[in-house]
Amino acid sequence: MEFTERELWAVIHGLVLGTLFLLAFGGGLAGIYSLKERYLTAEGLAERSPRLLIGTSVMAIVAWLTVLTGTFIVYPWYRAAPPKGTDLTNQAVLGDFPRSWLLASDKTSEWHNFGMEWKEHVAWMAPFLATAVAFAVIYYGAQLARRGEIRRAVMIFFTLAFLAAAAAGLFGAFITKVAPVS
Amino acid sequence: MQDNQTKPNGPVAAAFVAAGIGSLVLGIFVVLSDAFTGINDFLKFDAHYGLGSGVGPLSGKVVLGTLAFVVSWVVLHFYARGKEVDFGRWFAVALILVFAGFALTFPPIFDVFVNLLKPAA
Repeated sequence: MEFTERELWAVIHGLVLGTLFLLAFGGGLAGIYSLKERYLTAEGLAERSPRLLIGTSVMAIVAWLTVLTGTFIVYPWYRAAPPKGTDLTNQAVLGDFPRSWLLASDKTSEWHNFGMEWKEHVAWMAPFLATAVAFAVIYYGAQLARRGEIRRAVMIFFTLAFLAAAAAGLFGAFITKVAPVS
Repeated sequence: MQDNQTKPNGPVAAAFVAAGIGSLVLGIFVVLSDAFTGINDFLKFDAHYGLGSGVGPLSGKVVLGTLAFVVSWVVLHFYARGKEVDFGRWFAVALILVFAGFALTFPPIFDVFVNLLKPAA
């Protein structure tokens, strides 16, 4: 029972960081939604603010780590080109080259042409959006409870960050299932 | 309306719009990279500047998108700091930029723009 180096990085990128991101999103969204003055006492606000700050900051950091490991460590293995002269229409000889393997057949090419093309780009919006959210929470702290329009904007950006990451994560999981980096 | 008991909203509005600018710049380079081989080559920052190995044009797209996010954030932050801005308007702009970025990375949509821009062979 062991992983290759490539499989280990794929697990760190997709499963470990992805799970952390989902956990931080769930906790963060619930925290932001319920951060309303009428719901909370002063003690309640003081108790929740650090947790919210940690949740949104973790989500932003994890989003950056996920796209950095995905783009600069795992992705080059995915798009590695087979040696010159390799038959690019024969999937049987392309097992070590996931991108080429997918493109070798009409039955699998859309996993790259649609799935990977979207995933590799849309994922990068998650850290931009999550960082803006974390900044808003750090900047306002407990005062966010008194700024309804900003709290709503934070929830919308937080959700968009999640959707971008979810789209990327979903296609990442499917593509890894069809053509694993190994 | 400003709540006198809280900080001004300018810096937060600036961060939101900057995230939108980063998203849009990323989307624009996704289209340009596919439409023009010269831009595709230019975006290979892994080969030109050693940023990653084997990443290809994605390296340039994400570096330029991130730079756009950071630089625009700094500029907008200095413009908006200490100010109470029309947050609804700034956030609407941010959302438009983000959705435009989303759209330009979505293959069925970016393919339309690529086909419009691609020089005839």
